[in-house]
Amino acid sequence: MIKLPINYNREKIADGIHYTTIINKRLKTNYFIVHLVTELSEKTASLNAIVPAVLSATNAKLPTITDFSKKLSSLYGASLRGYAAKASDNQDLVISAACINDRYCFDGEKITEELAGILADCLTDPHLEGEAFFESDFALKKQELLDDIDAEINEKRSYAFKRANLSIFKGEPAAISAKGDREQAEKITADSAYRQYKKLLETARIEIFFVGAEECVESKKILTDALLKISRNYGGDSSSKLSPLKSKVCRVTEPHDVAQSKMFMAFKTDYEDYPAMRLMLAIYGATPISKLFMNVREKLSLCYYCSSMYNDKKGVVYVDSGIEHSNVKKAEAEIINQLDAMQKGDFTEEDFDNARKAIINVWKGVTDGARTIADWYFNQIGKNEIYSPEEMIERLMKVTREDVIAASNSLKLDTVYVLTGKEAV
Amino acid sequence: MEKKIVKNDRTGEQYTYVKHPTGLDIYIWKMEDYSTTYALFGTKYGSINTKFKTKDEADFITVPNGIAHYLEHKLFENEDCDVFSLYAKTGASANAYTSFDKTCYLFSCTDNVYDSLEILLSFVQNPYFTEETVRKEQGIIGQEIRMYDDDAGWRVFFNMLQGMYHNHPVKIDIAGTVESIAQINADLLYKCYYTFYNLNNMVLSIAGNVDEDRVLEICDKFLKNNDNPELETAFEDEPETVCKKEVVQNLEISMPMFNIGFKAKPEKGLDALRAEVETNFVLSLLADESSDFYKKLYDEGLINSSFSSEVFKGDGYFCSIFGGESRDPRLVRDRIIEEIDRCKREGFDRERFDCVKKAYYGALIRNFNDAEAIATNVINAGMERLSFFDVIETVAAVAFEDMAKRLDKQFDTKNVTISIIEPLGGKEEQN
Repeated sequence: MIKLPINYNREKIADGIHYTTIINKRLKTNYFIVHLVTELSEKTASLNAIVPAVLSATNAKLPTITDFSKKLSSLYGASLRGYAAKASDNQDLVISAACINDRYCFDGEKITEELAGILADCLTDPHLEGEAFFESDFALKKQELLDDIDAEINEKRSYAFKRANLSIFKGEPAAISAKGDREQAEKITADSAYRQYKKLLETARIEIFFVGAEECVESKKILTDALLKISRNYGGDSSSKLSPLKSKVCRVTEPHDVAQSKMFMAFKTDYEDYPAMRLMLAIYGATPISKLFMNVREKLSLCYYCSSMYNDKKGVVYVDSGIEHSNVKKAEAEIINQLDAMQKGDFTEEDFDNARKAIINVWKGVTDGARTIADWYFNQIGKNEIYSPEEMIERLMKVTREDVIAASNSLKLDTVYVLTGKEAV
Repeated sequence: MEKKIVKNDRTGEQYTYVKHPTGLDIYIWKMEDYSTTYALFGTKYGSINTKFKTKDEADFITVPNGIAHYLEHKLFENEDCDVFSLYAKTGASANAYTSFDKTCYLFSCTDNVYDSLEILLSFVQNPYFTEETVRKEQGIIGQEIRMYDDDAGWRVFFNMLQGMYHNHPVKIDIAGTVESIAQINADLLYKCYYTFYNLNNMVLSIAGNVDEDRVLEICDKFLKNNDNPELETAFEDEPETVCKKEVVQNLEISMPMFNIGFKAKPEKGLDALRAEVETNFVLSLLADESSDFYKKLYDEGLINSSFSSEVFKGDGYFCSIFGGESRDPRLVRDRIIEEIDRCKREGFDRERFDCVKKAYYGALIRNFNDAEAIATNVINAGMERLSFFDVIETVAAVAFEDMAKRLDKQFDTKNVTISIIEPLGGKEEQN
């Protein structure tokens, strides 16, 4: 068994609140990440999304963005960020903070503890005006959220992804954007956001991660003490459900001012063996030696990028490509063609070995980064069993050629979404 | 072979530098217990190097834009197979990139480091292309160029460079244009390859849990002796003033995006590094999130959290850029100019300077976590014939008293370009 040099420990602090410590002696920085995981719904998505944005900008002790940012600068450029993300059918409200290890400070300052204190204040002691978030700061954050929602069209590839998800997950929470929509965002007030924040503290699943070179007992105490003061009313959270396959392939083409068409094809699967599916995708479309890269890009020169991604919680495999408007049909046919080849077992032992090596390379590297190792464990919470990177590699080593063929045969085309030039429609 | 260990007392870090007999500069940074090794093999050849001469030529020659990037794509093909399929056997993740002034080939891996290093050294030194394989690549690179045409962040930056520079090739897209790449053929690629891919013009940087002697053994075996072509590069004369004060383009976006650039005189070597570091300090003092100026613009709703600033510099160019989104980018520009003038009159705050310095130092320390960041920082410094520790020591040496001088030197408020991407429906104009 490979032994990777990390130490992982997750403990329960209160109902639905866990504190995870990951020690990796090599790290020169300390990293905290707090997840508030809650239900993703159209009604509350924007209201929830604004909470981490407000909480990470100021707190009661550092009440202006200037004070706040000056303080972080003085802690050797410590960072503290808040944002809303999507975790399949759930919404993940995140606040993360990082600083250099105290041993690098000029005058022996204890900056990690200080940063933990700021983070605890952000979570539990925000800057208020009566029973609401401080109005003028809130108003700016609201405007920013509205701007962000509007700005989703700026990045064409991610915009196409967002639009594609609306069709892929029609009727499921995963169709909803992590920031919600403009209409709901416009209704938020400093008062309603504050009430939602209180509710989140009571009901969300809270996961705190600390990743550093050595345990920081004081920081842990500061954060857990702050969280223990919250009265909890945790009812458990709903885990994501596999997305059902549509009875007929859903085809959506939307015109947009783009020079290049962006296509997302979505396949649904209920295949349960995660390492086998990852291995299948490494051969099919997730590496530069994959069938999609070698054929759709290199052989046919149809695109600059064409690759696959996997959301195991929803059971969806995406194939993502950017293509000349006139080549969309050709590219789609070739993507299907290559999947067909996988399903027939048209790959060599060498393809299989190489794909496995590529995955091992990525999984072993996970332990080198604070963020990557925290994400590795966070993404497995809620599953029946939690695997370390080395345990997952052991499972991968047991995957057979037949498993890979079975994984590929589980893919069923569900949706083809194309964002294309106005002239092409 | 010249070999030395370079240490830095301030951080306790060290690496080995080797001047290989073939002319190659080699940097090896050992990271005990890390899983990942990251290696970069690069040439000082980027999109701006379109005019050059060697000892074999009497005069400078000029070639079409986009060749450095085109070569990067083509080197990934051997006579009998694709380079990715060689790496596939080692499990390494491989890639390459071309920037304005360099082209780098890289891999990261957790196993089979030495096999991957052999692949890296050998494919970069063995070009193979025919007219047919060169022609085929035009489709893929054409799609890459089209992809960036849709990228508003990329467009706003290049439009600013086009506004700022009259002649310097930094204003042209790294991949060239659909027209310029149509002129590229196998002969031109070979010509540029043999000019710039000379080990005297290249650097190897490797960071990770590696054995130095084995790395050097592989270098001895795989590096080819080559004659120093005495390469010289040149640029058309660039006036000190900006070319256009304003460039506007329309794209389907939600809110106007802007880049505001202050053009300044470029420097070289350690002076350029000092200019970069000090200008970054000045930018933080002027307008980072802890500045009163940032708060004012933010509270007025004139900027949002996308607002940021950076130094952009290289061979023959230097500018400071403010970028972000705003409903009124021209007003942001005017306010920045007012603030610069105010700071020139009234000076900066010493306490904030101390904080900026700590923050800058902290950001450098964070790099030491990561093989990729180390190898990349080392090759970037190496290409300028500097050490990564020079960066740290330059930061440590910056003094409050230098700030006023630097502000004067780098921020001529008459030499400003603004680039704006307007949402569709607005007016496109160029002044």
